[in-house]
Amino acid sequence: MNERELEDVWRRESPHVLAALLRRHGDLADCEDAAQEALEAAAKQWDPPPENPRGWLITVASRRLIDRARADAARADREQAAVAEPPPEPPGRDDSLELLLLCCHPALSRTSQVALTLRAVSGLGTAEIAAAFLVPEATMGQRLSRARATLREAGARFGRPAPDELPARVAAVLDVLYLVFNEGYTRSAGDALLDGELTREAIRLTRELGRALPDHDEVAGALALMLLTQAREPARTDARGDLVPLAEQDRSRWRSEEIAEGVAILERVLPRGPVGRFQLQAAIAAVHAEAPDAAATDWAQIRALYDMLERVAPGPAVTLNRAVAVGMAVGPAAGLTIVDGLLQDPRMARHHRTHAVRAHLLELAGDRVGAAQAYERAAALTASLPEQRYLNRRAAEARR
Amino acid sequence: MKYVILIHSNPRPWGHPTADYVPEFQALPEEERAAMHADFERRLGELSERGELLGGEALGDAASARLYRWTDGEPLATDGPYSEAKEHLAGFFLIDVESQERAEEIASQFASPGDTVELRATMWPGGDEG
Repeated sequence: MNERELEDVWRRESPHVLAALLRRHGDLADCEDAAQEALEAAAKQWDPPPENPRGWLITVASRRLIDRARADAARADREQAAVAEPPPEPPGRDDSLELLLLCCHPALSRTSQVALTLRAVSGLGTAEIAAAFLVPEATMGQRLSRARATLREAGARFGRPAPDELPARVAAVLDVLYLVFNEGYTRSAGDALLDGELTREAIRLTRELGRALPDHDEVAGALALMLLTQAREPARTDARGDLVPLAEQDRSRWRSEEIAEGVAILERVLPRGPVGRFQLQAAIAAVHAEAPDAAATDWAQIRALYDMLERVAPGPAVTLNRAVAVGMAVGPAAGLTIVDGLLQDPRMARHHRTHAVRAHLLELAGDRVGAAQAYERAAALTASLPEQRYLNRRAAEARR
Repeated sequence: MKYVILIHSNPRPWGHPTADYVPEFQALPEEERAAMHADFERRLGELSERGELLGGEALGDAASARLYRWTDGEPLATDGPYSEAKEHLAGFFLIDVESQERAEEIASQFASPGDTVELRATMWPGGDEG
């Protein structure tokens, strides 16, 4: 069995192997170690691979856990008993939800939740995750071991949380998956190799979550949002790799299958209400997708959706987007009033997007000098190289 | 999000930790100095353990720098320091954190009497077209 085939098996089976171990022995760090040792054994012994690779991996990893428990005399007797027999495996059971919930435990920081999800649920190696986030492998290793230690200290258990806790826990999983998606998507104007992998993985995990929770409309909404965003990917950079803003994208290059799937999901879940933030953001993306070109955008509808989004998930970033929609639907002066309000918040005043939106609205209002100054301010504040090039270009054009 | 924390200082003589060689820090009572050093070591350990510290270096004397300026179509080397400013770049740390707020929190903890700490975001290749 070659390395590639083994990796495929591992990516498919590792969450199930981990879940089977976790059901009997609650500590994620120990279970991950045992699963890793089983994988190493598989690399040596599988020729050809067994008929039931999952069962093989679970059995071997369970033995490692037992050996470890025996070797560790300090362990309580009850823990030894808990790992004394290989865990039975309920057939066809989907463990991905429980594992996601554990990795997105509220005791962990967002970055730890993201790292642990990619490690334990996606089966990515520490080196791959480190490469995806452009940090040294040792740093990512430290994040992961700290995350596991935090779970241990918090007494986090594998399994479904109480029904009253579940909504908040699922919301955290969705936030993490969307963060993974965004990390991959916004990076894809760069040159990192694993971007496509991150967006694909986020979509795959959100689909799995949707299978585990078919009636959860926000899970469906998040999947729709990812698909509708991902559909624009072929049009979002030009031949030189520079970012192309939404209004200037060649919409014939948007991928129609992903748009169709995203829209179909929304048509199914939106009428069921109440509508959450992912469904609303997806609906906004769908309105953009329906317009054959930027000029044909139904800004009145987008504005109505942002009004709703601001009630459901208020925050300065949403208000800023609403300012754009109001500016386009009503007129630049109305949008500028909203932006000026946001500039009172020192954090937003230091955010490049506030000034980029202000510049755009000033340009629409005919104030070219004001627009150029605002574009320059935005360019100075962004940490994104493609955005900075774009904003500097817009500033120069406004001054012409 | 990655940031560099730049430590500007004027240690006399040049030495590390820079605090030990600046008068503002030397003027403090010894217990206070010891406590601040211990605090700094502990924070550095925490950052590393949390997976936020990517690296860092203490730099050699600014007077030992070599400067290269393009002159008459080729690089011309001269001896440092780079500027006549009182403070020079004495060291740097590279961190990767969740938010600007966290970066600011960390950078403020690097401040020490007599030094100036500068927090700068690093540029990244991606972006948002929205």
